[in-house]
Amino acid sequence: MPRTLPALVVLVAAVAAVGSGVGSAPQEPVEQIVIGGVTPRFAVPECIARTTDEQTQQACRTITQVLRNDLRFERLFQFVPDSLLAAVPLLNPDAPVFEDWQGIGARILVVTRAGLANDELTVEVRVYFVDSGQTMLARRYSGKADNPRIFAHQASDDIMTLTQYKGVARTRIAFSSDRDATPERRSKELYIVDYDGFNPRRVTVNGSLNILPEWSPDGQSLAYVSYRRVTPVIFLARIFEGKSVANVTGERENSQAFAPAFSPDGQRIAYASTRSGNMDIWVVGVNGSAARRLTTTRALDTAPCWSPTGQEIAFTSNRTGTPQLYIMGADGLNVRRLTKVGNYNDGCAWSSARQFSEIAYTARLEAGGFDIAIIDLATRQVRQITQGRGSCEYPSWSPNGRHLAFSCERRGTWAITVSDREGRSLKRLATGAGNNVQPAWGP
Amino acid sequence: MLFLLRHRSLASLLVLALALSLTACGGKKRPPALTSPEGITPSGPAASDTLAAQPLDEGPDVMAVEGGYATSSDLEADYTTTYQEGSPLADIHFEYDSSSLTEGTRGTLERHAVWLQTRRALTVTIEGHCDQRGTVDYNLALGEQRARAVWDYLVSLGVAADRLRTVSYGKERPLDPSATEQAYTANRRAHFSVSQ
Repeated sequence: MPRTLPALVVLVAAVAAVGSGVGSAPQEPVEQIVIGGVTPRFAVPECIARTTDEQTQQACRTITQVLRNDLRFERLFQFVPDSLLAAVPLLNPDAPVFEDWQGIGARILVVTRAGLANDELTVEVRVYFVDSGQTMLARRYSGKADNPRIFAHQASDDIMTLTQYKGVARTRIAFSSDRDATPERRSKELYIVDYDGFNPRRVTVNGSLNILPEWSPDGQSLAYVSYRRVTPVIFLARIFEGKSVANVTGERENSQAFAPAFSPDGQRIAYASTRSGNMDIWVVGVNGSAARRLTTTRALDTAPCWSPTGQEIAFTSNRTGTPQLYIMGADGLNVRRLTKVGNYNDGCAWSSARQFSEIAYTARLEAGGFDIAIIDLATRQVRQITQGRGSCEYPSWSPNGRHLAFSCERRGTWAITVSDREGRSLKRLATGAGNNVQPAWGP
Repeated sequence: MLFLLRHRSLASLLVLALALSLTACGGKKRPPALTSPEGITPSGPAASDTLAAQPLDEGPDVMAVEGGYATSSDLEADYTTTYQEGSPLADIHFEYDSSSLTEGTRGTLERHAVWLQTRRALTVTIEGHCDQRGTVDYNLALGEQRARAVWDYLVSLGVAADRLRTVSYGKERPLDPSATEQAYTANRRAHFSVSQ
């Protein structure tokens, strides 16, 4: 059970006034959730420990902080400032005095309470409409006490079900890191990390070059490129079982494979192969069946990404002399050029959100370094997400299309960096030592 | 440990073979960089494997990731190759975003071809490398194009195609990771990894 809590008990699921009242408001500068006609201000007071022991207290502090960070990260809500929270008299979790919360401008109150018994942590979360005192959501979670962050992440994602977006708090990011390299063995290994940079876990242990990770849509597997057998080919690993299959695309001897990308239904992998003597885009079943070449030019074609419907594939080609993005049908037909600005564009990532039709990519828009750009597929307008803060490249969308992860270099070190889709709230994740590159934001 | 031993004995065989062939060459023009034969990259046991989709049996690629924290497991000595900068065949270099061979690099490759033709037991992995100023994916493609250009030329000079294979490293293994013009120039290269 890697993705959910060992035991998740639904206490009450009273989702009041949600179906009709929730929608997105096209307000600038930040999109806001509107509930009951207003953009609600959240109050997330300190978690209340049922007992006074230090472990429960500590768990409560963690839950408070992580839940606040998770909800803030979504950039959909407004919050009552922490300083005002202190002005409210001590909270009775069973009977909040809603007038107190109204008094500091809160419209939504999130009450959390934690208790520990037999090394099992139980966390209750209640979300109230302050104006009516109505309960919007009430959940109880119980599980192992060793990582209280998981409880807060789960609660945040449940609160996000009140919006039109799926929360990202329980998502993970895979990346490649050289932290295990030595002068004799210049390895890169794959790691996964929680979306907020915490809880890094190593995936590959083969001491070779392991790069370009890509999540299967079910979140159970990573496809990646490994040089373990010298010639780089695509491996597919069920990471929670520790099992891998080499050369899943069935490359012949001396043929290299790069840049795996799962189709949205998880049944096919698009990738770049040198099988024809030249690097082209190919598509193959996940079991290695029916490999098919999609591009046939003598130019370099690489880095495919799928449209959310699986009907189209974008990719990089230098067929006009410089690397540019193109779109074609998933059958290889109807190729047309996408990027018209700049002389170096690569590394497409197609947003899977139904709300946005856009592709993020790496662009050299100015001389020197690279930046992350997004092209709106309807208007073909390009907006730049990073600006000259060293080089940034290799964007990957969060599952709900509201955030991007990419890697940025500053002062000689590469780090996984996340940003919302407007380029605000840029944040380098503390994912550990070494150069950390090529993020893939998982489901 | 077994593999390491095997590498060593392979390498010493190779050294012996080189020494013999040097003697045979007599006073002829010396091949480049032969003074450091210990720099030869040993090939791993999997080097001649044909690649086919199959579960790995030579040690784990991945560890089972738990939902919680995982400790970093130590590396086992069962890797396929070590990476070494030394090679009896000198690197050749490329212009920025180019895989074209110049007159100078063709000359070097012609000497490499002669050297290889006198040592027909050797196989060569042609590694294509790029500098740090490109993107990950495009550099992997460009590195392959560079390696392929070298492959094409060596084959045209009569080196058997089945003795040569190409591997693109893109910008994943720079010779010099620093952000200087000198480092960029050094990194835009084809490197020759020789094995038996």
